[in-house]
Amino acid sequence: MSFSRKLALRNYIVELVLLIASLGIIIPLLLMIFGSFMTSAEVSKFQIRLPDKWMFSNYVTVFKEGGLARAFLNGIVITGVSAILNIATSSAAAFILARRESKLSSYLYLFFFMGLIAPMSTITTIRVVQWLGFYGSVTSVILIYAALNTAFSIFLYSGFIKSVPKALDEVAFLEGASLLGVFFRIITPLIVPVNATVAIMVFMSVWNDITIPLYFLTDSSTWTMPLSIYNFYGKYSRDWNLIFADLVMTSIPVLILYLLGQKYIVSGLTAGAVKG
Amino acid sequence: MIKRSKSMYGYYLVWPALIIYSVFFVVPAIIGLYYSFTDWRLDRVGVKFIGFDNFHKIFTDETLLLAMKNTLIFAIATVVGKNVIGLLLAIALNMRLKSRNFLRAIFYSPSILSVLVISIIFTPMLRTEGMVNKFLDSIGLHFLSQAWLTNPDLVIWTVALVAIWQSAGFQMAIYLAGLQSISKDYYEAATIDGAGAWKSFTNITVPLLLPALNINLMLTLIGGLKVFSEVFVLTSGGPGNSSQVVGTIILRAFGEGNWGLGTAINTLLFIIVTLIAIPLLIFMRRKEVTE
Repeated sequence: MSFSRKLALRNYIVELVLLIASLGIIIPLLLMIFGSFMTSAEVSKFQIRLPDKWMFSNYVTVFKEGGLARAFLNGIVITGVSAILNIATSSAAAFILARRESKLSSYLYLFFFMGLIAPMSTITTIRVVQWLGFYGSVTSVILIYAALNTAFSIFLYSGFIKSVPKALDEVAFLEGASLLGVFFRIITPLIVPVNATVAIMVFMSVWNDITIPLYFLTDSSTWTMPLSIYNFYGKYSRDWNLIFADLVMTSIPVLILYLLGQKYIVSGLTAGAVKG
Repeated sequence: MIKRSKSMYGYYLVWPALIIYSVFFVVPAIIGLYYSFTDWRLDRVGVKFIGFDNFHKIFTDETLLLAMKNTLIFAIATVVGKNVIGLLLAIALNMRLKSRNFLRAIFYSPSILSVLVISIIFTPMLRTEGMVNKFLDSIGLHFLSQAWLTNPDLVIWTVALVAIWQSAGFQMAIYLAGLQSISKDYYEAATIDGAGAWKSFTNITVPLLLPALNINLMLTLIGGLKVFSEVFVLTSGGPGNSSQVVGTIILRAFGEGNWGLGTAINTLLFIIVTLIAIPLLIFMRRKEVTE
């Protein structure tokens, strides 16, 4: 057998193995998707097959009973505002830290970098938020998410800003531009792709999170989708069709975001994989 | 000129990020250090300094010790599982396969979903009469079917398996990005010099993949030690306390009003994560530079 034939055969075998393995991913997801359209009795057999009759009404039921419209809006507000806040503050900070080549700026960078490693101290964060007088509010959760994502965002931004030649800034300064002018007119347009990466990464992690709402959102009217679903799951643990419909609905926004923003996710991953 | 341009970059642009990060992340960590040594409780007004009592309790209480052991098991199992599978998938999907874009998307897809979603899907599948056991029976691997979520000795491993299932694809994506940044020229040159596939792999792929390996090891290790949601949704620490981890124990201490103890456990987690992660980070950085 020639070398190229052997290579082709090897590729076929690898491909076959991977296709079989991918069923291990597809089947559980199909269980959820098909199950979300079944009747309660049909779904409780937990078999992979198309529903006898497509019960689109499950989604309507879940939406009404689970209070999902409210949870959806809460999720949009919390993820949206914390992502914007995070982008604005982190990119500005990373700009200065990347441009200043002093001891202080590298210490500050390390100070931020620790946030990638250290676990959050939940109970005392509650204490701090209580002192500030807004425990249980959506605002507190937004600020906490902005804080938790600062480390990663500054890491991404400063890697990118360092690759923008400093000469660009210097020319603008010579022409009399202010620091803010340079930041908004020169740096900001260049880091639009990084903004997209950060926005998507923050959105996905915040949207999917259950820990922070569990500790910080004491009032069910402020809950996000995953927490509402967890609560719904406890109440309707027999109606798996409704639970699955709930799960599908909370997954749709991140799925859409993933499909639209795929290339920005990849560039974020590449920054991590290549720069380390 | 250089002096002047340096002073142009005023630190005031750092302040907003610094304030948010400090108030909501650093300050709680610092006051946590103090509260770890107190009897801070929900139902008490003042707090009293009690020295190392909380830590003494952590190291003598059976459940707390088990939680720490489980956290380590989970972290090590997921670091190995996610990285080995992620790397194998990346190498395979870097080959010229017809369906590779489809396969990449499929393997990556669970990692964009919430841990809550994945954990709830797996709950019925992992029951004794659930789909996983039925499948194992049907292909003649009956001896592998288990009481996945109810056997106290197995349950933390089951949770780790679900976590690996969910995010090996994310690790794969990072490895793939690393693999694609390696120029094909190196491999061509190696082939001309008579190097085989294995030699090319160890001498070109591995060293050039080190940054991706580093970031993956750090992400999986730190994520593994901070585990909470997977356990919380799949088992709530049960059956009994057999799958408690540090993250769920902190929630329990919080719920019971044992805030001083909960904070002490958090401080301990902080110390463990830092002691493992920072030397590893420094070690791998050095290795990367010498390559």
